[in-house]
Amino acid sequence: MIAVEHLVFEYPGLRALDDVSFQINQGSITALVGPNGAGKTTLLRCMAALEQPVSGRITIDDIDVLEQPRESHRVMGYLSDFFGLYQRLTVRQCLHYVARAQGIADADCEAAISNVCKHLGIADRLNMRPGELSRGLRQRLAIAQAIIHRPKLILLDEPASGLDPEARHELAELFLALQRQGMTLLVSSHILAELEAYSTDMLVLRQGKIVEQVSVKSIQQHKPFKLLLAQPVPNLAELLKQIPEIDTVKIEGNSLALLKIPENNLQQHQILKSLLALNLPVCEFAPAAHNLQDAYLQSIQEGP
Amino acid sequence: MNPEFQRQLYLEYSPARLLGIPMVLGIMFTLSFFLDDHRLGTATANTAMVLFMLISLLWGARQTIDSILEEYRERTWDTQRLSALGPWEMVWGKLFGSTSMVWYAGALCLMMYCLAKDDSAALSALIFYSVCAALLVQSIGLLMGLLAVQRDQDQTNSNSLFVIVVIALLAVTPWLMGIANITPYSLQYTNQNWYGMQLNSHQFHQISLLLALFWGGIGNYRLMTQELGIRTLPWVWLCFCLFLMIYLGGFIPSGFFSMSLAAFSVFSALTYLGMLVERQDAMRIKRLTSYFIAGNWRRCGEEIPLWWLSYLLCIPAAMILSFSDNPITQFGASFHIYPLAVLLILLRDCSIYLYFAYGKNPQRAMSLTLLTGVLLYGVMPGIFTAIGQNQLAAWFFPLWADSTIGAVSSSALQVIFIVHVTFKRWKSST
Repeated sequence: MIAVEHLVFEYPGLRALDDVSFQINQGSITALVGPNGAGKTTLLRCMAALEQPVSGRITIDDIDVLEQPRESHRVMGYLSDFFGLYQRLTVRQCLHYVARAQGIADADCEAAISNVCKHLGIADRLNMRPGELSRGLRQRLAIAQAIIHRPKLILLDEPASGLDPEARHELAELFLALQRQGMTLLVSSHILAELEAYSTDMLVLRQGKIVEQVSVKSIQQHKPFKLLLAQPVPNLAELLKQIPEIDTVKIEGNSLALLKIPENNLQQHQILKSLLALNLPVCEFAPAAHNLQDAYLQSIQEGP
Repeated sequence: MNPEFQRQLYLEYSPARLLGIPMVLGIMFTLSFFLDDHRLGTATANTAMVLFMLISLLWGARQTIDSILEEYRERTWDTQRLSALGPWEMVWGKLFGSTSMVWYAGALCLMMYCLAKDDSAALSALIFYSVCAALLVQSIGLLMGLLAVQRDQDQTNSNSLFVIVVIALLAVTPWLMGIANITPYSLQYTNQNWYGMQLNSHQFHQISLLLALFWGGIGNYRLMTQELGIRTLPWVWLCFCLFLMIYLGGFIPSGFFSMSLAAFSVFSALTYLGMLVERQDAMRIKRLTSYFIAGNWRRCGEEIPLWWLSYLLCIPAAMILSFSDNPITQFGASFHIYPLAVLLILLRDCSIYLYFAYGKNPQRAMSLTLLTGVLLYGVMPGIFTAIGQNQLAAWFFPLWADSTIGAVSSSALQVIFIVHVTFKRWKSST
C-alpha cells in the first residue's frame, strides 16, 4: 500500500529525515512513534505531498506522490496535528465543501455527509458551527473531513492530543471501525498505551531515521519472562548462565531479571525446577507485562 | 458550481448584508440627490463613481488578500492544498467568490452612475475601465496573498499587504483619474505611438488593461499551481519577461540599440522582482544541486529560481549594449552607464539579499538588503565624493568610475567577495 524509499528531508542546518525507507501493508494500523523532533510530522507531511523532500520516493497505492500529488490526494486523507476548521460555516457546510472539493458529485454529497456523520457520531450536530462543538467533536469533524471521500489511506498526526480518556477510547474504536472498512491508517502519537489498543504495527523514528518496524502482535507474542527473587543473590548472572535455555535480557539489583525462555509450557516448568534447584529464592516467575511502551523504549535505547 | 466559489458565497452572503448594503448606499445617494437640487446630476454621478472605486478597489483588494491569508491563519490552507480542486478553480473561486458582495455593492453604484450621467457616449468606456481596474487590483490582492503564503510569512497580516496594495493604488490613481475624464472628443482624437504606429490612445489603454488582467490571472494561476504542489517549468516567467520587453520596447524609439536597452532594463528590473517575490530557500538550491548531479534536468528546470532566468536573459542584452556602436555612455559629468558593470552590480545586489535570506532571520532579508543598498549606493560614495575621493567612491558604486575597466573591475571584486560569503553561509545553513 505504502512504499517509502530513501526519503531525505532537510531544514536549513538539520536533516529531519535521513534515508527513511519502509513499507506498510494494506489494512494495517501503523503507530508512528518517536521522541519530539524525531521527524514524525515531517514524514507525514511529505507523504501527504505537503512538503517537498530533497530526495527519495513515496508510492501510495501505486501513485508516485512526489510526481502526482493531486492524484495521490484522491486516495488519501490527512489530519494535521494543528488542524483548522472553517469557523464561519456550519458542520454541514464544512463537510459539503470538502466533499465537493474532493470531487464528489453534488448529487452524492448528502449521502456522503450522512454516511460519514453516522460513523463519527456527529449526525445531530450538522447545523452547529465548529466553535460550538467540544474538542472531541471538533476532532471528529476534522476526521470526517479527512475521510469523506473514502480514501484508502488515512494519515493522522497526533489525533488524540487534548482528548479526554473517554474520547480517546471512542477514537480507538473509530480507527478499528475504519480498518474494518478496508482503510489503512498511519497514526502518529505520543500516547503509546492508547496506540496499543488498535495498532497492528509500530514504526519507530528517531533523529530522522527508522529505528525499527515491528508487528505489534509479535511484540505481544515474544514477551520476556520476569524472575523476581525474595532477596538479592550476588552472583545471579553467573547462576542464570548455568541454565542453557535461559537468555538473560536484563538484571536489576540482583533480585529481578528479565529472561527470554522457550514458549513451551513444559520447558518453562523445567526451567523453574532448575532455578529452584540452584537454591534461588524465587517468588515470581511469569511473563512480564511487556507492552508497546516497553518495546518502544527498548527500540529507542537499542537503536543506532 | 465551483466548490470554492460556493464556499465563498456561504461566507459572504447573509440576509443582513443583502439588505444592509442597498440601505446604506440608498442613504448616501439620497444625500447626493438633495445636493443636486432634487435630481440625479453630477454630484450623484461623482458620488456613485467614488463609492464604486472605494468599494471595488479597497474592499475588493482586502477581500482577495484575506481569501488566502485567512486560510493560512485558521490553518485550513492544508485542507485546500489536499483537495482535488485544480489551480484555476481555486483562483477564480477565490477571486470572484470573495468579492461577490463587493460586486453586488459596486453594481448598485454603477447603476446609479448610469442613471445620473447623461454622457452616454463615454459611459461604456468608463464602465469598462472601472470594472477592469477593480478586477486588476483585486487580482493583485490575491497575488500578494499567495506570495505571502508562499514565503511562509505566518507573521504577515492582511493589513500590511493591504497597505502595499493601497500604495500601488495611489500610484495608479492619476492615470485612472485621467482616463475617467473621457469625453466623446477625447475618444476620437488622442493617439499613442507604439513601434511607430499611431494607435487610438483609448483602445491602446483598453488592450493594455486587458493584457494586465491576463497576466494577473496567469500569475495567480502559476502561484496557485506551485502551492498545490503541481510541478511546472518556468515558462510563464520567461514569457512574461519577453512580453514586457516587447510591450515596453514599443514606447522608445525603434532600433536595435533601443530594443536592447529596453530588454536590458526590463530583464534587470525583473531580476530584482523575481528575487523578491520568490521564497529564497537555501534548501531549494540544495535540491537543485542534487537534481543537477543526478542529471534530472526536468527537476532542475522546475527548481531553478526565477531571478536566474531574468538574469540569464540580461547577459546577451548587456553584451549587445556594451559592444554597440551607439552606446549611451555618459549621463552626467561623473555618472556612466556600463552595461557589464550594471550586470555585475545586479548580481552583487541579489547575492546580498541571498546572504541575508540564508541567515537566521530570513524575514529581515529585505530590510537588511535595503539598508545595505542605502550604504552602498548613497552614504559611502557620498562621503568619499564629499572629500574629493571619486576613485574610492567608485569602489562602492562602480558607475561613478571614469572608465569601463575601472567600473567592471570594482564590480567584479565586490561580486567575488559577496558571492564567496554567501556561498559560505549557504554551505553552513545546509
